[in-house]
Amino acid sequence: MHARAQAAREVPLDQYQPEYLTAAEYAFIMAATDRIIPEDGEGPGALETRVPVFIDRQLAGDFGTAADLYMEGPFTPTADPFLGTQTPLTPAEIYRGGIAAFDAWCAQTHNASFADLDAETQDAAITALSEGDVPLGPELREFWSLLLQNTREGYFSDPQYGGNAGMASWVYIGFPGARGSFFEWVGRPEAYPLGPVNIAGERA
Amino acid sequence: MKTFLRLILVLAVIGVVALIAFIFIPVQRTPAQTALAADYTVPEGQGEYTMRLADCAACHTADDGVPFAGGRPIESPLGTIYSSNITPDPETGIGNYTLADFRAALVDGLRRDGTHLYPAMPYENYRMLSEEDIRALYAYFHDQLEPVSNPTPETELSFPFNQRWALRGWNWLALGDPGFTSTLSDAELARGEYLVTGPGHCGACHTPRSPIMTQAALTGADDAFLSGGEIAGWTAPALRGANSAIRGWSAADIRLIFATGRNAHSAVNGEMQLVIRDSTQFFSDEDLDAIAGYLVHLNSGEQAPAEPTETATEQLLASADPSMDLGPRLYLDNCGACHFVNGRGADEVFPELDGSSLVTANSPTGLISMILHGGELPSTAERPERLRMPGFAHRLSDDEVATLASFLRQGWTNDAGPVSAADVSALRDEPATN
Amino acid sequence: MARTDPKKDVVIIGLGWTGSILGMELAQEGLEILALERGPDRETVPDFQYPNVIDELKYGIRLGFMQKPRNSTLTVRRSLTETAQPYRRLGSFLPGDGVGGAGIHWNGQTWRPMAEEFRLKSYVEESFGADIIPEGMTIQDWGVSYDELEPYFDRFEYMAGIAGKAGNLNGEIQPGGNPFEAPRSRDYPMPPMKQGVDAQMFEQAARAMGLHPFPRPAANATQAYTNEYGMQLGPCNYCGFCERYGCANYSKSSPQTCVLDALKRMPNFSYKVNSEVLKIELAEDRATATGVTYFDEAAQEEVFQPADLVIVAAYSLHNVHLMLLSGIGDPWDPVTQTGTTGKNYAYQMNGGTSMFFRDVEFNPFAAAGSNGVSIDDYAINQIDFAREGFIGGSYITAGISNGQPIRGISLPAGTPSWGAGWKQGIGDWYGHSMSIGSHGSNMAYRDCYLDLDPTYTDRHGRPLMRMTFNWKDNDIRMTQFMRSKIEPIAEAMQPDSWRSSYKSEGAQYDVRPYQTTHNVGGAIMGEDRETSSLNRYLQTWGQHNVFVMGASAFPQNIQYNPTGAVGALAYWAADAIRRDYLPNPRPLV
Repeated sequence: MHARAQAAREVPLDQYQPEYLTAAEYAFIMAATDRIIPEDGEGPGALETRVPVFIDRQLAGDFGTAADLYMEGPFTPTADPFLGTQTPLTPAEIYRGGIAAFDAWCAQTHNASFADLDAETQDAAITALSEGDVPLGPELREFWSLLLQNTREGYFSDPQYGGNAGMASWVYIGFPGARGSFFEWVGRPEAYPLGPVNIAGERA
Repeated sequence: MKTFLRLILVLAVIGVVALIAFIFIPVQRTPAQTALAADYTVPEGQGEYTMRLADCAACHTADDGVPFAGGRPIESPLGTIYSSNITPDPETGIGNYTLADFRAALVDGLRRDGTHLYPAMPYENYRMLSEEDIRALYAYFHDQLEPVSNPTPETELSFPFNQRWALRGWNWLALGDPGFTSTLSDAELARGEYLVTGPGHCGACHTPRSPIMTQAALTGADDAFLSGGEIAGWTAPALRGANSAIRGWSAADIRLIFATGRNAHSAVNGEMQLVIRDSTQFFSDEDLDAIAGYLVHLNSGEQAPAEPTETATEQLLASADPSMDLGPRLYLDNCGACHFVNGRGADEVFPELDGSSLVTANSPTGLISMILHGGELPSTAERPERLRMPGFAHRLSDDEVATLASFLRQGWTNDAGPVSAADVSALRDEPATN
Repeated sequence: MARTDPKKDVVIIGLGWTGSILGMELAQEGLEILALERGPDRETVPDFQYPNVIDELKYGIRLGFMQKPRNSTLTVRRSLTETAQPYRRLGSFLPGDGVGGAGIHWNGQTWRPMAEEFRLKSYVEESFGADIIPEGMTIQDWGVSYDELEPYFDRFEYMAGIAGKAGNLNGEIQPGGNPFEAPRSRDYPMPPMKQGVDAQMFEQAARAMGLHPFPRPAANATQAYTNEYGMQLGPCNYCGFCERYGCANYSKSSPQTCVLDALKRMPNFSYKVNSEVLKIELAEDRATATGVTYFDEAAQEEVFQPADLVIVAAYSLHNVHLMLLSGIGDPWDPVTQTGTTGKNYAYQMNGGTSMFFRDVEFNPFAAAGSNGVSIDDYAINQIDFAREGFIGGSYITAGISNGQPIRGISLPAGTPSWGAGWKQGIGDWYGHSMSIGSHGSNMAYRDCYLDLDPTYTDRHGRPLMRMTFNWKDNDIRMTQFMRSKIEPIAEAMQPDSWRSSYKSEGAQYDVRPYQTTHNVGGAIMGEDRETSSLNRYLQTWGQHNVFVMGASAFPQNIQYNPTGAVGALAYWAADAIRRDYLPNPRPLV
């Protein structure tokens, strides 16, 4: 099946019913990922590739619940960051708390929640968040790095996880996906021309 | 007129009497063809070894069943036939069989009660067993094996195939002379011929069937012997002649495939995986060499396939040209990782697709089934790795499998007919053969 | 209440590379063997099945083949005074679990250490004087020489099917190979891998500068191969999913492709999965082990498994953890400098320079775990330690191992990490960058060690192990030396831009970014029971029926990836057990 045909059958992003995120949180994720990977310029943006769906599903699943992580106390969230995550919160809880705290900061600083700011102000707010200028508290200090990482994951991962719709990010950078057959291309100096295939066998 | 009627009546009476006699007068059993010494004893280990030579497990062991306790369903054109329990259990097995009873089953296709076995039991071939081998099998199944009480399902074929008496006529047409006499003077070749034609019963699958389902030839002297047959819809490839699947194979290639299920060209698939698993991997080096030598001999007049050169197919696949048709695109997206763009795979690991008898078989059933459901090589002493090809049923639609299979059948130097989506659809829900 | 199972001749803890090798070698002696694996069973199909395993999120990012910290982890601190914190999420290193262990998810770079590395302390003292060894550095000799191990390196490389080019055959230097390597008795069993554009460019530049490039030794097959056990590899198709993944193509050497189906045929060998060993049980006199206690997940109960011989073959960190929990050897005390268990934990000092070429197509997805080209001109035996002011060395190498986009697209300095600029950057630079890396030694130090954490426990209630580790000036000087050698090569290649990443003075250990899963030491081998945990045959000094495999035996880290040495030591120990120990069980030294 052609991947664009598959993507067209998906529920439109604004009608997607989140599994984990509240409506307000989903609106934040829509707005934030749209700034992290915007539509403008070459290549698809986070919304075209349905990154918000990916993030919601990840937070609803084992990633969000910290199913694999060591979650025994005592917790020292103020420990040196070099010693790794020490928050008692799961990633899903970090998003919940992080979105609330960041939105509160936006309301205080810019008089509106993040989703309601114009793009330029949103970029300024994200800059502040990414540079540690938004006071979140130590338990939430990974919020930005999770959001950035999960946005990239949703952009680039196999479409089975809800993002990378139509394999558009792979087409953009020239990554051929789940083909696994490149013997004759090793050491060949020209660009590889063939589009990607995903794990389900769809082509783009 | 009266005379004519009388004649008709007499003929009718004779006919009825003959039919009754045909049905009810017991069939004569074939006696032992060689008189063994009165004190003949089966050599140590020979019973089990001969069981391997004759691959009794193939039919007489059910999936997950106790070995030789029977009950395995065997799909035949006539319907489903259930194999019998051949452990020495007196009630449900062969515990009450005398040597003569046992011999009659092998060479005449007769049960102890005189009724006919269905020729799913390859007594057309076992009829050639030496008396030593019959004695070895009897020793193994009657004297050495532990009895297992396992009533097997009655085979219930529809009319007319449920009239077992009719097999008496079939046997007249099907069976050759009992015993085995080689036409070959070389002792090793003669041993190979015996193993292939007799206990190995290779012809049961690899020889075409006549219109009444007898094997079209029983010995190598006849060109039809091993010229290709069919099993469960899969083509059992020709092992001789212009279309021989083993044309150009060396004796070492052939030995390796029987010992391990894999060689530089091919990997066994379908029912042949079970033959390797249960039978040929246990053959002695001498017997494997004898079989290999005989099969090389059968192919000695054939031209070896041309050395591979770069084909248009390989060039297209290597180009990764986005405008390529769906067939080659599907190949790159699903097959190339192991079988490579030249379709030649890798010795003993990834079978060749160019020139493959599975790919180009008359019946595409085996190829389609392999694409959908995958395959697995049995673990053998010489090559213990259970190399597996995964199935692609979840990844490819019927149309895509058909397009891919058609591409494979026309790719490189292959030249076989296309496959339709309907062919694929019919096989999609079937489990893998293993 | 623990169940007690019938006694076995041998119990093997962990069914990865060394567990599989010891299983095979000891099964050939006819011994009754049980291997206990804490993780799940894994086979090429279905666990690494094409194309499902080509899933970067599931395996490359969520680390589907690695141990879950929830089930097993440790704590980390950087100094004796810091409070250790749990390694809650995997980052810096990624121990695997399950049948095959790290042998399924490695890249396959299979080296032999330099002969000098096996007697490092003696080499330094003889060549440069004992006074160049800095205060607090606790390097030691291994107690076994390269010459003794050479046949076992050979055995492992032929069993695993390594692709490469010899540089020194019985003392004769071979063109195209590594001229600085210790002599090998025969060439690699397979020819080297194909090289990508990046490796070709590096090779040309290095050669033009008078250096000695050679292909990296690779456990990615370059042709069909059958090993001594009849196990088979198929040629690699450069799928670009090697490290962190099981191989879909039967191409990467692993216990699955090289040992296990053969081992499973042995009627005297059996294994149990989801069976984590909790403790090695010792006899009352503590002179021998009586067996192991493990948790049987299926039965949800503890089981005592008696055995005459215990082979500890888990990941290096777990080997040490088990020894600490079981009272095998006295724990290392960094203050009094007594004890041995946990001593000399070491890591790997790596660095690299990324280079950007707008007009070169690298096709980074057409890659394998260990193709690439290296130079060993700055190896540990090529450097004047007295002059340069450090002890150690690195190999320097180029070879793109994957083009997986989530794991990182290298971008030129100044590219934003998000927004339109980032998106433009990935479009411009994906497939247009390469790097030259240095892979270097890490010395052992008094205060880099492993012990039991006083606070945190695992799901079985056992104390977690505590890692105390930080970067030291000696090794930072070493990596800065490598920087000074790599950057001129990079400049000679005339990239549009380049940027470097090497530890610099004052660098602290950061557990978050992935660095390497080459955790070594803690159960070190040596000549003296006072200063090492194991004798030269990997036998514990205190319990003669306990042998400990793996890189935990390294007294400090070599400049190479550890698996080659781990494999050779496993065959060396197996041979000692078969020839010398089984006929007369006793301390072999």
